[in-house]
Amino acid sequence: MDDWTFGWTLALFGMGGTLLMLWIFSVLIILLRKIFPVKTEIKSEAKK
Amino acid sequence: MDSALPTALRALGLGLSNLGVGEAFMLLVGCLLLYLGIRHRFEPLLLLPIGFGALLVNIPMAGLMEEDGVLRYFYETGILTEIFPILIFIGIGAMIDFQPLLENPKIILLGAAGQCGIFLTLLLALALGFTQLEAVAIGIIGACDGPTAIYVTSKYAPHLLAAVSVAAYSYMSLVPLLQPGIMRLLTTSKERKIVMGAVRRPISRTTKIVFPIAVTLTASLIAPMGTPLIGMVMLGNLMKESGVVERLKNSSENEITNIVTLLLGLSIGATMQAKNFLRWETLMILCLGLIAIILDTAAGVLLGKLMSFLSRGKINPLIGAAGISAFPMSARVVQMEGQRYNRKSHLLMHAMSANVGGQIGSIIAAAIMLSLIQGLGT
Amino acid sequence: MATSVTAPMVGKILKLEKQVGDTVQEDEVVLVMEAMKMEIFVSAPVSGTIKNILVEPGQSVQADDLLAEIE
Repeated sequence: MDDWTFGWTLALFGMGGTLLMLWIFSVLIILLRKIFPVKTEIKSEAKK
Repeated sequence: MDSALPTALRALGLGLSNLGVGEAFMLLVGCLLLYLGIRHRFEPLLLLPIGFGALLVNIPMAGLMEEDGVLRYFYETGILTEIFPILIFIGIGAMIDFQPLLENPKIILLGAAGQCGIFLTLLLALALGFTQLEAVAIGIIGACDGPTAIYVTSKYAPHLLAAVSVAAYSYMSLVPLLQPGIMRLLTTSKERKIVMGAVRRPISRTTKIVFPIAVTLTASLIAPMGTPLIGMVMLGNLMKESGVVERLKNSSENEITNIVTLLLGLSIGATMQAKNFLRWETLMILCLGLIAIILDTAAGVLLGKLMSFLSRGKINPLIGAAGISAFPMSARVVQMEGQRYNRKSHLLMHAMSANVGGQIGSIIAAAIMLSLIQGLGT
Repeated sequence: MATSVTAPMVGKILKLEKQVGDTVQEDEVVLVMEAMKMEIFVSAPVSGTIKNILVEPGQSVQADDLLAEIE
């Protein structure tokens, strides 16, 4: 593969992939916060 | 016996009589690194062993990097195998606190923008005639993250290790000098004055424990070549957040990290032999590394501006500069700059979110690059 | 109407620059906090007199906690 195809593929997919992956993480965080909210933990500890 | 005396004298002078201009210059470079580390406290934990390693390896006839040389063993077992950077990643994971990010997940995108310099510098290095894999190693300086840079470089261009790691570590400590000018240049005074309120959002312990596991699985399945990097950081973090293996967590962040930092620094210093280091490429790599970090900062601030616009002025674009992974220097720079323009503005915690995003971002960028290169079959 | 001075972030109170009864100008430093090993200067949102200080050096605070009141 010539240098420029290599370079641009890496640059575009690399940057795009990084953005996409971090966006997935932010969605993941929002989901995790919804599934495991703070309140339930306090309640379950109180039960003990 | 008569001839023994002059022979013995000559043998004792061998080091001095074999000292070339290159070696002498490299001894000075070693001393400069020691000076910067000791006097100016520029990353002393790294510059001290690196500088001293550079001294040792440029003593003629000592042979520390020759076959059977003692530093050669460190280099071959720790760096070429990638074991040292991998061990450091466990320690980083044990020290990292994802709390600011979990409180403020949208900011993580700034951590992606902070990696932009990697890819632009890669193109620049190709244009300057470096080979494809060399260009990858040079671009990774823009990750602004020492262990990531060493990991990638030892994989693809071990002959550039000395230049790349010296650039990565020394520019990390120059962040407070490099960033403010770019931040000022790209923002309006109205933007710099934006006040972002305090963040107060409790995060459940379960979220903190599940997060590293979920990130490892998601990221590794998409970019499998990055699994060693992501996996080790998240293992360290899981040990910290779970709270059940306090001993392992403590050893990871203290003993293991300290021992490996010493050996890593020494081995990197050992690659700074005159014949490898005194080349035009080294100078070019140092310049390209600087450009990479400037581009990172610019991209971060520009995405910050976009987010500021989209949020109708709720986000201060200065925090974009913290999207690089120089932690926590970069977040501190943002806090100080924010204060300079508005005494009521406290950006530290928001910048911390971006900064932690940058730490994840640099690892993810490396992981994706490794997977792409494997896919392209270069 | 008293204006409240709140903690801009989680951290620890390092020292008080003003005492109850002191007059402050807008943007003048009221107290210094420590967060992430950095000194954070908390300044007055308005000019006035310090009516009340609710924290003391060494105390840990959460973001948005009430630190002082200015009248």
